[in-house]
Amino acid sequence: MKIPNKKKLIPLIIIQTIKIYPVTLFLFALLVIFSSLYPEKFLTPLNLSTILRQFVSLMLFALGPSIVVVTGSLDLSYVGIWMLGGILVWLLMPTLGMFSILVIPLLGLATGFIVGVIQAKAKIPSFILTLSVLVIYCGLTGTISGGISRSVRGYEFITARLIPYIPTALLWTVPIIIAAVFIMKYTKIGIYLYAIGSNEEGARLAGINVDKYKILAFTISGLFTGIGSVIYFQHQGGAVPVVLNLNTMVWPLVAIVLGGTPLTGGSGGPQKTILGALTFTVLCRGLTLSFLDPTMIQLITGLLLIASIVASSRGSKGITVL
Amino acid sequence: MNNIGPIIAAIAIIGVFQLINPTFLRYQGIITLVYAMSYFLIAACGLTFVIMMGSFDFSVLSLLKLAALICVLYIDKFGLLVIPLALSICVGFGFINGLLFAKLKVPSFMATLGISVVVEGISLYLSKGFLHIMNDRTFRSLSVTFIAGIPSIFYWAIGVWMLCTFIAIWTPFGRRIYAVGGNPIGAMLSGINVESNRIYVFMLSGFFAGLAGILYMAQFGGGSIEMGADMTIPLFASVVAGGTALTGGVGGPHRTLLGVIIITWIQAGLLMIGAGRSIQMVIFGLIAIVMGISTIDRRRIKIIK
Amino acid sequence: MVMVTDDPIVEIKGVSKTFNGVVHALDNVSIAIGKNEIIGVVGENGAGKSTLMKILVGVFPPDNGEWYYRGKKVPFPKNPKEAAKRGISIVYQEKGVIPCLKVYQFLFLGHEDKYIKYSRLDIDKMKKYAREVLEEFHVKCNIENFMYELPLSTQKMIEIAKAILSVRLEHEDNNITSVIILDEPTAPLTIEERRELFSDILNMKKNASFVFVSHIIPEVMEFTDRVHVLRDGKMVAHYDLSKEKITEEDFFRAIVGKESLEHIYKPEIKRVANEEVVLTVKNLTKNGCYYDISFDLHRGECIGIFGTAGSGKSEIINTIAGLISFENGALIIKGQEAKTKEPPHVRLTRGIGYFSGETGKELFLNWPITKNISIVNIKKILRKFIPMINFNAEKQMAEKIVQRLRIKTPGVSTDCYSLSGGSKQKVSVGKWFERSPDILLLEDPTIGIDVGARKDIYENTLEIKKKRGIAMILISDDPKEYSLLCDKIMFIKHGKIQKVISGEKFKQELEK
Repeated sequence: MKIPNKKKLIPLIIIQTIKIYPVTLFLFALLVIFSSLYPEKFLTPLNLSTILRQFVSLMLFALGPSIVVVTGSLDLSYVGIWMLGGILVWLLMPTLGMFSILVIPLLGLATGFIVGVIQAKAKIPSFILTLSVLVIYCGLTGTISGGISRSVRGYEFITARLIPYIPTALLWTVPIIIAAVFIMKYTKIGIYLYAIGSNEEGARLAGINVDKYKILAFTISGLFTGIGSVIYFQHQGGAVPVVLNLNTMVWPLVAIVLGGTPLTGGSGGPQKTILGALTFTVLCRGLTLSFLDPTMIQLITGLLLIASIVASSRGSKGITVL
Repeated sequence: MNNIGPIIAAIAIIGVFQLINPTFLRYQGIITLVYAMSYFLIAACGLTFVIMMGSFDFSVLSLLKLAALICVLYIDKFGLLVIPLALSICVGFGFINGLLFAKLKVPSFMATLGISVVVEGISLYLSKGFLHIMNDRTFRSLSVTFIAGIPSIFYWAIGVWMLCTFIAIWTPFGRRIYAVGGNPIGAMLSGINVESNRIYVFMLSGFFAGLAGILYMAQFGGGSIEMGADMTIPLFASVVAGGTALTGGVGGPHRTLLGVIIITWIQAGLLMIGAGRSIQMVIFGLIAIVMGISTIDRRRIKIIK
Repeated sequence: MVMVTDDPIVEIKGVSKTFNGVVHALDNVSIAIGKNEIIGVVGENGAGKSTLMKILVGVFPPDNGEWYYRGKKVPFPKNPKEAAKRGISIVYQEKGVIPCLKVYQFLFLGHEDKYIKYSRLDIDKMKKYAREVLEEFHVKCNIENFMYELPLSTQKMIEIAKAILSVRLEHEDNNITSVIILDEPTAPLTIEERRELFSDILNMKKNASFVFVSHIIPEVMEFTDRVHVLRDGKMVAHYDLSKEKITEEDFFRAIVGKESLEHIYKPEIKRVANEEVVLTVKNLTKNGCYYDISFDLHRGECIGIFGTAGSGKSEIINTIAGLISFENGALIIKGQEAKTKEPPHVRLTRGIGYFSGETGKELFLNWPITKNISIVNIKKILRKFIPMINFNAEKQMAEKIVQRLRIKTPGVSTDCYSLSGGSKQKVSVGKWFERSPDILLLEDPTIGIDVGARKDIYENTLEIKKKRGIAMILISDDPKEYSLLCDKIMFIKHGKIQKVISGEKFKQELEK
C-alpha cells in the first residue's frame, strides 16, 4: 500500500512546486548551472558583487513601472526621466550647486503626475503615451546637452565604497524597495491599485475613485524612478548618454514580467519584480561569462520577454483588443 | 475635423517653411523631400493596416533595418535573390507577431516590442557592429534610377500607396480589416475569421517593412542605420496624423499619405532651420500624443489602460 | 400606488429621470422597503429597473422625487458611500467582483478608512472581522482565498456580505437593517447554485431586506413577499404575494402591457414549412445549462424556444451560433455534423447566421448603413471579373433594405451611431435578411423598439420565411412575438424541454 502511493506522490509534488514557484526554481537552476559550468569565474566575490550591482541598476528602474503595471497600464518613460534628469542636474549645477540633484526626483514626480492625468482624462493608451514622453525627454536631453555626453562631478559620495564587495548603491536601494513593497502590501493605496488592475469597472462600482488612483500610481512610479535615477546616476560615473538603446530600455519590463506580474495587472508588483530582476541579472551575467556572442544576450532578452508574456497571458480569454 | 484637418495642416506647414526659407520648394529641396518620404511612406502604409485593425506594430523599423542589412550582407553571395530572401524573413516575423497576438493573446504592443528586440539582436549579431556598403549597381538602381527627374523609389512608394489604398477600400480583405478594428465581436459574428485576418495583417506589415528596408538600402547604399526606438514615434505619428485612429476601424492608407507628407515635411523644415534630431524628437513626441488623443473614438472604448 | 409597510427603511416618492431630455427612463415612481422583506422588481429591458436602482445607491440623482427616512425628507445620496450611510447598498449583476483580491480585502473594499492605523492597514483586525462575518452568513471559505478561486455562488454570497457590511460600517446605527439590492443575481449561476443562493438569502432575511431585480418570474414569485412591475418607466402594478394569488400570465400581461396585445399584427401570409430538415439537434447537453435537447428544424419553419431568463434558452441558441461549446450530443447542419467547439464564422459557412437584438454587440456603429449591410454580403457586391467592391451595388442594396424595412434615416451613408434604437435593429435585421442564410437564429430581435418598427420587422420576417425558405429559431421575452412568427414552440425550464406545442395552439392560449 505505501510503495505505490509514494511513487505517485513525488512527481505530483514536483509538478505542484514548479507551478507555484516557477521563477525561484529557474533562478536556482541558473545558479546551479553557471556555478558548475564556470566555477572559477562565477562563484568569485567579484562576480557576485557585479551581480548585485547589476541587480540594483535594474531594480531601480523596474520598481516604478512595476507599480504601474499592477494597474494594468505601462510606464515606459523611465529612461527618459533618468536622461533628462541627469542633464538638468548638469545644467543647474552652476546655479543650484549640490541641491541640483533634487531636480531628478522632482522631474520624476512631475512627469508621473502629468502622464497620469493625461492617461486618466484623455484616455490615450499608456504605452504610446509613455513612449512618446520617453522620446520627448530624449529629445530635450539632446537639445540641452548639445548632443554630447555630459558628466557631472560632485556626487561621488553617494556610491563611495563602504563595505567591500557590497555595492553601496544596494544599501540605498534596499530601503526604497522596502518602501515600494510596503505601499503595495500594507496600505489602502496598494489594495486599490490591485483592484483597478484586476477589474477596473468593478473597482469603480465599489466606490473607488479610479482616476485619482491611476494618477497616483503614475506619480509614485515617476517618483521612484526619479529617486532611483539619483542613485544610478552616480553608479554610472555621473555621465549622461544621449542614445536610446532599445535593448536596455526593455530590461526592466523583462524583470517585471519574468517576476510574475501579469501585464493585465491585478497581482504581482514590486515584491515579485525583485525575484524577476535577480533571475534576469544572474542569467545575463552567466551568459556574459560564457562563450556566447555578446549580441546573443539581446536575442535571449527578447525571447525571454516574449516567453514570459505568453506564459502569463495564458489565462486570457476572449478577443484581445489592442 | 478629421477629414480636412490634415490637409490644412499640410498647407500651413509648407506655407510657414516657405516663408522662412524661400528656397524650400526648389527642385533640390523637393528631391530631398522625396528621398525622405518614400521609404517612410512604404513602411507607414504597412503600419496603417495594423492600426486600422486596432493593434500596434512596434517592429516595423527593426524589420526595415534587418531587411536592409540582409541585402547588403548577402548581395555578393546571392545576388538579387537577397530581395525575396529579405522579404520572406520579414513576412515570417510578421507571421510570428500575428501568431503571438491572435493565438497566444499577447497584447500586440508587447509582442511586437519583444520581436523588435529579437530582430535587433539578430541584426547586431549579423552586422557585428560594422558599417557595410552596398556596391551592387543593379540593386541600387532600384531606388536611384531617375525617371522624369524623380528617383525611382518615389514611384515605388506611390505604387505601394496606391496598392494599399486599393486593398483597403476596394477589396473584401480590406473591409474585413476595418471590421475587426471597428468591432472584433461584431466581426466574428459577421462571419469573419478574426484570428486569421489578424495574422495576415501583421504579415502584410512585415512585408512592407521589408520592402521599405530594401529600397532604403538601395537608396542610401549603406551606413549603419541610425534609427533607434525613437523613430517609431514619427512613423506612428504619420499614420495617426493622417486620420487613422488608434481605436481602429477608421482611416486607412489613403489618409496616411497626408500624414507622411506632414511629418516628413516638418522634419525637412526643421532640418532647414537648423533644428537637430533632438528637437525633432521632442516635436514628434508631442505630435504623437496630441494626434493620438484627438483621434481616439471615446464612444467605443470605455476602459483604456 | 404607494406601498403598505410600517416604518420603511427606505422610501422614495415621485421619482422621475430623463436622459438627454428625451428618454423617459423613470416616470413618477414610488417605492417603499421595510424591515425583513424581500421585494421583487420586474420589467422588460429598458423598463427602468436599473435606472431606479442606480438612483437608490447614489450613482446619479433623479430629476424629481423625494426620499423619506423615518418620516423626514432627506436628500438623495450623491455616491455609493452616502447611500450606505442611508442603509442601502447594491450587488451588481456582473463586474462586481474583483478577482485578484483576497476575500478579506474584497469584503472591506472602499471602507479601509475604518481599519487604518498610522496610514497602515490593520490587517489582523480586517482578517478577524472577515472571519466573523463569513461565519455569520454561513459562507464556507477561507478568507485567504483569492476571489477567483471560489465558485460563482460563493462569490455572490461574499458580494452580498460585502454589501451588508458596507451599510454596517457606514451607518451610525450599527443595528440598522440594511437594504440590499440584488441586480439579477442568478444570471451567471447554474440551476443548482441558484437553489443554494436562495436558501442562503432566505436565511439572511433576519439581518437585511432585499430588493430582487430580475427577469426570472418563477424565482421572483417563489422568493419575494411583494413585487413591483415596471413598464416604460412607470410603476404599473404592485402585487402582495402573501395576500393575492398571482400567476405567471398575470405577470406577463403586466410586463408586456395589455394594450399592446390589442395591436397584434394579424398576418395574411400563412406559414409554410417544407419537409426538408436543415438542422438536427440530438441530445445536446452542456452541464449546468441545458440537458438532452433534441429537435429537428425544417426549411421555412420557425421554432421558438420559450422560457424565462435562466431557463437555458439563451445558452442553446448561443451554442448553435458557435459562441459557446457543447459537451455531449450532436449538431447536424444540412447533413454535416458540426464540431463541439467552432467559432461563429465557421458556423456561418455551414449556413447558420446569428442575430442578437443587442446592437452594440453586432453593428459597427461608426460605419454607415451601407457598410453594415454589406459586411455579410460582400460576395453580392463584387464586380464580375475583378474581386473589387462595387460601391454602386452596395448603395443600391442598402437602399433596397432601407425602403423595405422603412428605416428612418436621411440617407444610406449616415453612421449608425446617429440612428434610433429601432432603426439600428432594422439595419441588423436587414443585413441578415439580405444574406439569407439557411438557418437564422434570432435572439431578442425586437427588444426595446416601438410597435411600428416591430410591425415592419415582423412583416419582413414572415415574408422571408415564406419566399426564401429560411429556417429560424427565435428567442424572445415577448410571448406575442412567438405566437406571430413561430410554427412550433418549445418550452424550456431548468435546461430541459418541458413540452412542444404548435404556434396556433399557443396563440389560442395567449388570447384567453
